Amino acid sequence: MTATAAQGLSRDDILGLVRGDYIHRRAYADPDVFALEQERIFGRLWIYVAHESQVPKPGDFVRTHLGKHEVLVTRHQDGSVHVLHNRCPHRGARLCMVDRGSTRLFTCPYHAWAFRADGMLSAVPHPQSYPSSFRLDDPLNHMQRVRNVQSYRGFIFANQSDAPPPLAEHLGSMAEVIDNLIDRAPDGEVEVADSSFTLEYQGNWKLHMENANDVFHPSFVHNSSVAPARAAPANASIIDQDQTREMLLANGFGTTEWEGIELNGLAGGHTYMASFYKKGVIANQPQDAASVQYRAALAARLGAERAAAVLGVNRFNNIIYPNLVLNAQQQHMRVTFPLAVDRTQIRIHCFRLKGAPEEIFHRAIRFLTNIGSPASMIFSDDVEMLERCQQGLIKEAGPWLNFSRGLDHDRRNGDGSVGGAASELPMRVQFDAWVKYLTQ
Amino acid sequence: MMLPYETRREVELFLLREAKLLDAGEFESWLSLYAPEGIYWMPSRPGQTDPKGVASIIYEDHAILAIRVRRLLEARALVLTPMPRTTHLISNIEVVRGETNDQFTAEAAFICVEHQGEEQRLYSGRQIHHLVRANGSFRIALKRVMLVDCADRHQAMTIPI
Repeated sequence: MTATAAQGLSRDDILGLVRGDYIHRRAYADPDVFALEQERIFGRLWIYVAHESQVPKPGDFVRTHLGKHEVLVTRHQDGSVHVLHNRCPHRGARLCMVDRGSTRLFTCPYHAWAFRADGMLSAVPHPQSYPSSFRLDDPLNHMQRVRNVQSYRGFIFANQSDAPPPLAEHLGSMAEVIDNLIDRAPDGEVEVADSSFTLEYQGNWKLHMENANDVFHPSFVHNSSVAPARAAPANASIIDQDQTREMLLANGFGTTEWEGIELNGLAGGHTYMASFYKKGVIANQPQDAASVQYRAALAARLGAERAAAVLGVNRFNNIIYPNLVLNAQQQHMRVTFPLAVDRTQIRIHCFRLKGAPEEIFHRAIRFLTNIGSPASMIFSDDVEMLERCQQGLIKEAGPWLNFSRGLDHDRRNGDGSVGGAASELPMRVQFDAWVKYLTQ
Repeated sequence: MMLPYETRREVELFLLREAKLLDAGEFESWLSLYAPEGIYWMPSRPGQTDPKGVASIIYEDHAILAIRVRRLLEARALVLTPMPRTTHLISNIEVVRGETNDQFTAEAAFICVEHQGEEQRLYSGRQIHHLVRANGSFRIALKRVMLVDCADRHQAMTIPI
């Protein structure tokens, strides 16, 4: 039994939190477990930090979270991308106070040490007052760099461990969802739109990742938006081609839909589901004018057969473990940042497919508003439920949570598993990986 | 040219009536203040001019607002349990005439305190109404609510501000 350094949680402690299809509440509510997750999951796995389209030119940067750290993702003069801790090495001050921008140098406002976009110290004022041993090129005097940064087709990931496996190995076949997103762009390129939401909820980060592949909850949680949408007349809106009403309606599952939605899990903890958006402009391959025009543009590059295959991929909430959710068809991305054991931030983005009609982008923006806005009629109810879970999970009573739904119907499939019938397979797959990462 | 006092007062009273309907939870009456093609817009960033290419916190016309109102009134959404209650304060009202004689634009500052269960939330910012005269009163063609923190972090929002 190896005790872990800081938290005093042993391997057996972690193994003791998962009993087959039961999970102990401490997995969500114990600050020591959270600290261990920060060390072994967010501190060791490849974690998404930014998209290259957000830092197109030298000097461009975005600010984000990497585990328990705040980092800047920067584009250096030589075109390389760096992930830097947002902290001046001189006296420890937080350096950058905005979420994005472009700058030649990051200059600390305290004593004006100035850093290049690769973290190197460029200059200090009044250099003659520093001793002869003081050197600009001493790494101790640089903004601390996250050692491992790799991109997969524009998606930048960082890894804080010493000798990580290649990013491609971590992504495995989940790279297909990134491929599919890019393949959908008639010009073969996507960019992250300069429009996003940042939401916070008072609950553990895993609750959101589980909810994203939980096909059982919408009938209950979203009934308060499904019912009014059902009562509303079709095509009454003059602004969105009925997209909002169709999105709300789509959460109104019946038994047939439940049983028809396939859920998939992969060895690294990645999971995804089949899409349940089947009507209107958010359906797979709708036939309205903008969609037809878009399809023609895509076929011009890929050929009709290949375009049909690309557009036919109908997967939803593709979760790249531990914290990235991608939706190629909806041009949608969510990144989950655990801030504390009971506090989580979610940043929600959408993509522009270069070469696609503007209307296609407007639909992605509408999707972002409908599902990602703080006033969303969908996600606000999800968040309320996640918070209620946390409120219950902090209590010691009845510590075991049940994740057995679908257990008798799941089957192996290649290196992963597949379930239907509203299985809780995604949660079991996520927890299998969670145990593996926390105990190795 | 400054509008006659009576006209300004009419507009002010209309804005106060709208705030009162929201505070009273009379959302159907509130919706009836909107023109059939009226729009409620809460941008996600300061100075946002594009409601289609930039996501909004809310950008909804009468038909979608009707769904939102129905959800508030009937369906007992989880996030509305317990039902939040609000106090809207509207102040610093400036009214100017719009493009035609029966159109007006009213800009104001607002504070909205929302009370729900054990929590209180505070919203503030500026709002702009585009109003059209109708049947001795006005109808809202556009209400733009510009939260001072629209681009920042948010928790779930419920009652229209």
